[in-house]
Amino acid sequence: MNYQQMAIPPRSEHLWRYTPWPRIHPSSIDEVPIAADVIFSLEGRESFETIPQAADNFDDIARSFLHATGSSCHRMVISEQSDPIHINARASGHIAVGHLELEVKDSAVVFIHISGEPEWVGLHITGKIHPNAHLSFGFINELDSNSKFLRCEDWTVERDAELEHATLSVGGFRCKSDMRTTLNGTGASIRQSITVNAIGARHDDEHVEIQHLHGHTYSNLVMNSACGGSSHFIGTGLLTITEGADKSDASQVFRNLLLSEKARAEAIPELEVLADDVSAAHGAASAPIDRNQMHYLMSRGLNPQEAQSMIVHGFLLNAFSNLTNKCLIEEMRTRLTVHLECELRR
Amino acid sequence: MTDDAQELIGDYRYGFHDPENSTIRFDKGLSEQVVRDISELKNEPKWMTDIRVKAYRHFVERVMPEWGNCSLLNMIDFENVTYFLRSSDKTEKSWDDVPDDIKNTFNRLGIPEAEQKWLGGVTAQYESEAVYHSIREDLEEQGVIFLDMDSGLKQYPDIIKKYFGTVVPHSDNKFSALNTAVWSGGSFLYIPKGVSVEMPVQAYFRINAKNMGQFERTLIIADEGSTVHYVEGCTAPNYSTDSLHSAVVELIAMEGAKIRYSTVQNWSSNVYNLVTKRAIAHKNATIEWVDGNIGSKLTMKYPSVLLKGEGAHAEVISVAYAGNGQHQDTGAKVHHLASNTTSNILSKSISKNGGRSSYRGLLQVTPKSTGCRSKVVCDALILDEHSRSDTYPTMEIGNSTSDLEHEASVSKVSSDQLFYLMSRGFTEDEAMGLIVNGFFEPFTRELPMEYAVELNKLIELEMEGSIG
Repeated sequence: MNYQQMAIPPRSEHLWRYTPWPRIHPSSIDEVPIAADVIFSLEGRESFETIPQAADNFDDIARSFLHATGSSCHRMVISEQSDPIHINARASGHIAVGHLELEVKDSAVVFIHISGEPEWVGLHITGKIHPNAHLSFGFINELDSNSKFLRCEDWTVERDAELEHATLSVGGFRCKSDMRTTLNGTGASIRQSITVNAIGARHDDEHVEIQHLHGHTYSNLVMNSACGGSSHFIGTGLLTITEGADKSDASQVFRNLLLSEKARAEAIPELEVLADDVSAAHGAASAPIDRNQMHYLMSRGLNPQEAQSMIVHGFLLNAFSNLTNKCLIEEMRTRLTVHLECELRR
Repeated sequence: MTDDAQELIGDYRYGFHDPENSTIRFDKGLSEQVVRDISELKNEPKWMTDIRVKAYRHFVERVMPEWGNCSLLNMIDFENVTYFLRSSDKTEKSWDDVPDDIKNTFNRLGIPEAEQKWLGGVTAQYESEAVYHSIREDLEEQGVIFLDMDSGLKQYPDIIKKYFGTVVPHSDNKFSALNTAVWSGGSFLYIPKGVSVEMPVQAYFRINAKNMGQFERTLIIADEGSTVHYVEGCTAPNYSTDSLHSAVVELIAMEGAKIRYSTVQNWSSNVYNLVTKRAIAHKNATIEWVDGNIGSKLTMKYPSVLLKGEGAHAEVISVAYAGNGQHQDTGAKVHHLASNTTSNILSKSISKNGGRSSYRGLLQVTPKSTGCRSKVVCDALILDEHSRSDTYPTMEIGNSTSDLEHEASVSKVSSDQLFYLMSRGFTEDEAMGLIVNGFFEPFTRELPMEYAVELNKLIELEMEGSIG
């Protein structure tokens, strides 16, 4: 079914409850606008090949729309261990769309930095981690503060493969992310962390689905957001453990730090468990900054802005604590620190 | 009962049914005329007829919910339901005057005995209307009004008109519209200012007829500084065809009042139990929902509290047991609409023999509500590989000074716990029963003792043969 044949999803679907499709679509919802390509460039010796897009067999409106607006797909196959790969995705113009396909057969560290000042940008990333391979993946959203951003990701993690997935979302005005991972073999695992700094009037909606199709699979999701100004953060997660996927271990934690009167945060951590011998848990917490922490820091000479910034920094850094790859952690922490320091100086 | 029905239902101790001796029975199916006929038969005021008709029109227009167990919901055949059935010409005040066949039913359920021992008042509803009603004289003297809803409408039309549908409007959802259109029976309870009702008052709901729809409407108003504990129990016989129970419960707790509403729902597993329960808590008031769901085919029930006044508090404790062919889609909703309001939600569920239990909850803090605190805990046990447990919580936080926590876990019974108990001489079945009763203990300790004992027995019965 192509995009124009699809029904607009109702708001009763939690995926679209807080960011309905018409609000993230770049123009009129019946339209498939002409889009420029997102420019991908590489630092390092790896290279892309450009391939035509696969047929549209999506049952999801966002993916189908990205398929309809894009023309080709950048593909990268990582067959042997290498230095960290940095992919710069640059978007410009009115509407820009990019498709990226990653295939990992060994151990790799990949970063994607998306930046630019488009009015609207869409990005669809698909990835396959082959058996026994390991991918540490960092995604840094540093788009202009007026851009709308739609991002879809589909990952398949095969037997005994590992995916470490980190997101730092600090750019864009209205962002909608839909990241789905299938643990498609015994021993497959994913550790995912999402850090969101919502300032001004930012609207950031992060949706994560992880499906445990086999036994002895592992997933761990941590989502931390700091919401200031009149921002609105939405974190939704759906962990599914299918029938027979015994000995699976799934957990998700959502934490929201509310920094201003007008900031809003929603947390919807969902679990669907169809197997009995599993460990599945989730937790969610929302709270303002602890006054004792502020008092402690200010009694040591920090002004209120510095004290708050330090607490926010520590809180957001904590989202990366479930990751294990040092290079990934270091890069994500550095980017976050730079972003928060720039914000403090403003 | 047919073999098919027996297979479907399994062991259900309240599965007996008595011959139907109805005085009035409507044909199956729903139309505006049926709605008007129910109202005319009850000799209701015009404003109530108008509300019913308006609700019916809304019901027809409103689509089925597109969430929850849509496949089971879409199997409901609204044209194959009897919307009104009167078993007794009047509501009696003495058990001796209740028709014998109905009295036998309630005797077998132990209601008269319970009333003598520990209840402040009883309403027994059989099919569409109450057949027995009583309240202790001392409570009546203090101004407590406890009536079935039909009598309440006749005797206190002004109070009913003022509050009816203010907590759950007919347009809230498809089933609240259905209930408002065809409601019959239920309880009306008013506690005057400062009165504390020490002994629980109870309503007992029984569906006896085949393809019956029971649509009771309950309205409880606790005036300033009063307290009350209301208990309801529900059973139905086993038939191979489905029945529909779609109630609406509205609670209003004025300043400083406290209402505890306890339910042990043990419908047979061919009953659709689609209930809307909601409460409003004014300043410093407390609402407690204690909700046990053991029976039914599909239950969709999310007791809600609107914390409207500063300092109001909500407590929701719910347990659900989902056995073969059952889906317990339950949860709780708390809306913090005022500052310094607090809430606690504890949900426990067990899935067994292919059953499915779902927690679906909403916690909302509006932007102007400062200093709110809430904690939600959901625990689920899955006892075999064919069963399923889901958790769908939603937290909407619009105020930065609120402090909210949610935690949930899904697991199986720990083999260490089983081993420990079995090493002390328990059989595996007994050990499992003890662990499950312990799992439900936070719920049972909130029930009156007689109910807690009954619930433990029910769980033990349900747990029989659960090992291996």
